[in-house]
Amino acid sequence: MIKTKSTYLISLLVFFFFLAVKLFPMNDERQVKYDLSVELLPATQTLQAKETIVWTNLTRDYIPDIQLHLYWNAFKNELSTLAREARREKLFKRISLKKGEWGWIKITSLTTGDGEDLMPAASFISPDEPANPEDQTVLKVGLPEPIRPGQSITLMLEFQSKVPRSGLRTGNYKDGFFISQWFPKPGVYEEGNGWNCHEYHLDSEFFADFADFRVKITVPENFVVGACGEEVERTVDPARGEATYTYVQQNIHDFAWTASPRFIKVEKMFNADEEVTQEEYREMAELLDLSPEEIKLPDVRMILLIEKQHKNQIQRHFKALRAALKYYGLWYGPYPYRTITMVDPPFRTGSGGMEYPTMFTAGTSVILAKDILSPESVIIHEFGHGYWYGMVANNEFEEAWLDEGINTYSTGKVVAKAYGPGKMPMRFNGLPLTWFIDLPAIYDWQLDRLVSPSVAELDPIVTASWKFYNSASYGLNVYYRASTCLNTLERYLGEKTMARIMRVFQMKYRFKHPKTDDFIRVANEVSGRDLSWFFQEFFLGARKFDYGIASVDTREKPRKLQGIFDDLPVKNSNKGNLEPAKNKEKNYEIAITLRRYGQARIGPEEKLGLRVEFEDGSMETREWDGQTRWVRFNFEKPCKVKFAVLDPDFIWLVDSNFSNNSYSASGSRSRILALCSTLFLWPMQNLLLTISSIL
Amino acid sequence: MRTAYYLGSGIRQGFSRLRLAVYLWLIILIFSLIAIAPLTSVIRINLGHFHLSQPALMPFGLHLVEIFMANDNILKPYLSLLLIIILLLGLLSVFLNAGVFGRMVKPEKKVAFRDFLDDGCRHFCQFFLAVLISLPFFLLILAFYRLLVWPVNAWTSQTASQWPVIIGSNLRMLVLILLWTVFKLFFDLVRIIIVFESKKVIPVIRTALSFSKKQFFKLWALFLIVGFGFLMISIVFLLVGRLFSTGSLAGVLIIIILGQAYIFFRLFTKLVLIGLETTYYSVNR
Repeated sequence: MIKTKSTYLISLLVFFFFLAVKLFPMNDERQVKYDLSVELLPATQTLQAKETIVWTNLTRDYIPDIQLHLYWNAFKNELSTLAREARREKLFKRISLKKGEWGWIKITSLTTGDGEDLMPAASFISPDEPANPEDQTVLKVGLPEPIRPGQSITLMLEFQSKVPRSGLRTGNYKDGFFISQWFPKPGVYEEGNGWNCHEYHLDSEFFADFADFRVKITVPENFVVGACGEEVERTVDPARGEATYTYVQQNIHDFAWTASPRFIKVEKMFNADEEVTQEEYREMAELLDLSPEEIKLPDVRMILLIEKQHKNQIQRHFKALRAALKYYGLWYGPYPYRTITMVDPPFRTGSGGMEYPTMFTAGTSVILAKDILSPESVIIHEFGHGYWYGMVANNEFEEAWLDEGINTYSTGKVVAKAYGPGKMPMRFNGLPLTWFIDLPAIYDWQLDRLVSPSVAELDPIVTASWKFYNSASYGLNVYYRASTCLNTLERYLGEKTMARIMRVFQMKYRFKHPKTDDFIRVANEVSGRDLSWFFQEFFLGARKFDYGIASVDTREKPRKLQGIFDDLPVKNSNKGNLEPAKNKEKNYEIAITLRRYGQARIGPEEKLGLRVEFEDGSMETREWDGQTRWVRFNFEKPCKVKFAVLDPDFIWLVDSNFSNNSYSASGSRSRILALCSTLFLWPMQNLLLTISSIL
Repeated sequence: MRTAYYLGSGIRQGFSRLRLAVYLWLIILIFSLIAIAPLTSVIRINLGHFHLSQPALMPFGLHLVEIFMANDNILKPYLSLLLIIILLLGLLSVFLNAGVFGRMVKPEKKVAFRDFLDDGCRHFCQFFLAVLISLPFFLLILAFYRLLVWPVNAWTSQTASQWPVIIGSNLRMLVLILLWTVFKLFFDLVRIIIVFESKKVIPVIRTALSFSKKQFFKLWALFLIVGFGFLMISIVFLLVGRLFSTGSLAGVLIIIILGQAYIFFRLFTKLVLIGLETTYYSVNR
């Protein structure tokens, strides 16, 4: 009986397993496959390419058309959506180009695998509001027959492209090329909703399905090439003076490459056993509530393409990449690919500081300072995007914070762990500003929270990229305000819980397309709390958060009270006297008023802490639910307040003004005097003196 | 030897008329205090009772950034106020320069405040006119600057390396500074001649141009020597200032004193330059 029952149970489990696989395909059933072959013609800055796309319908919809991104048409003329948005924001100089410098992409042939010509059914569309019929970055291709559920379609394309002189994230300068968003790429089909295929906007990035890539790149023989994935073949044609590199990579959603004769290529191994100690594995395992074996890191081949003028910085680049591989791996999950290519972008191609799956660009200067974490910060950040965007592949058009905000938060943690605080990478005429003035060393999260309040009331963090008030609101909200909110969440929940949330989110949504709701769900599940109010307030709302100490009023308690009391006054009565005449001690009545200056509030079940220390060394604490506009706490003590601090543990980093969170009887007079004289008076004197000297 | 003579003369005159530096320092200080009053008020209101926790949430200076971002609505009005103060000081500077040049050119070493004011009044109109006439000269200098840096721009626009960009940027700055010294020196001469020969501005400019044809480069070389010395001593001030921390009251006071000493040093350098130029003109005219 038992055996029969077990057999039945196992059979049932197997049935449901296969049913699940059918309904929810595993990652190795790739939706898209690309086979590309491209030739770079440096003399004309053009690409000639052939592409085969195999696209599989994994939904239950019948799909009548396919929509392709043709990103480079954003650089074709001033009528593109991107150019118009740049002009509106007076940022047109960012992409304005002279004659011969514009970029474009043109499909010269588009057929099915059976040879049926699809060009007659292809037309440009403008799927976003406001509509722009002049934009040519989305091509809709009608199909002879709808693609059935489970069916695959093969598209064969030939296209030509002109590399823009220096477009956003892609471009060329002299013989240096950085090629990204260069091939026709299908949008993402969402069951029931149709194609998610947006125009190329000024402030948006990208969104595509995971795919297998095989790319052949033909360049002049003397060019050094770097690309996503692994180089599997290299052939040289001395007669034509060309070399062809073949790269392959599974399970990525984009493919970029670079070529320049000025690169030096250096390869090193990230040997996990040398980089991570057993003690570190144990500590991390305890933090994440996993076994050390589950968090073990693999070895990874690191490839660096660096310009010759920066060759003395090779060690700095690799040190930063090692730190990134180590800490992103330990905290969020092992890096699943065999290689990572780090590119010091070709000079003046406008392609620095950008991420692609298994590859990223950093950017540096010929003159560096030791106490400034550049290029380290950029390297760690762009590598980190391999996790947040590369593997957890959110829709960067619609919910950019899921990669930019999360990665800014992660970058800050890795940089702090690996390097500590750093000075800001400001320059004067190309020279580090720290050579002339003493700047403070700060952590990323300190800077993030400083700049966040300026946009807190403009837009919610969760806003489609092209719908932000302006580029500044987009940048400050999705990067820094989102990061500040996550740092606040970490302080609120504790380091352990937050670490587990991030790990679960990474591992659960690897090679998928999560949304904000998915992150909230994971946060709720892992923390065991309902954090909806937190996300509603800080991510979905646009309100300023500012609690502060409004006043601390102290008065000596009168020994004798005036007025009429219950009994008629009797001679020699003590009524009205609060204490015996011989007691000379003073008592103070202290009233501390707290205020909520901003519109945002803490959650309904939460409390804000107030810590008060008195001159006699005693301490008292109070709690406030923060829901009303103000509250007043009264104390009666034999001495005055020494200092009071609201939110003494600095949990609410989203608070826009921490300076009003404390009160000190003595204040910081010497520091204020220093600030006023060194930061204001002395520079003002010099400025006025210079002006008067001119006249 | 002549170089040493002129430099020595300039320094001696600077020392003998040090009181002028005191007057200027006081006036600049008053204007600066007025100019920064709104800023210090914001700081006092927001940080006057601030408690610096241990460990601190962030460097104290960042709280400054925070409160100014929280009070960014005062930026526009403040800039308007600053502009008005600068314009007022500009006008007053013409008067003060008239007084300074008046006293420096006169042979009497003793400086009385009343005489300083008298000279200011006496030469104000001519000095003001000189400022107005200097504007087209300034535009000419800028045009000349663009011409001079055109080869640098052509070089940096075609480079495949970052070094020329950095070198070019600093070269452009150097050219601009040198051209500014030419402009400043010429109009110092104009002012000296106005006081020396009590002439009107237009004839003075003709005299200055005529003088410059033969003597300008030698005088400019002396000017640049003083400028170089000023730069070196400024670097010393900067390095000494970095030795002290703002963490303690004593450190803050030392930095304040050093800062004011530097302002005073700038004013003293101005007197030295005027003294040097006056001596040179009087010997070689």
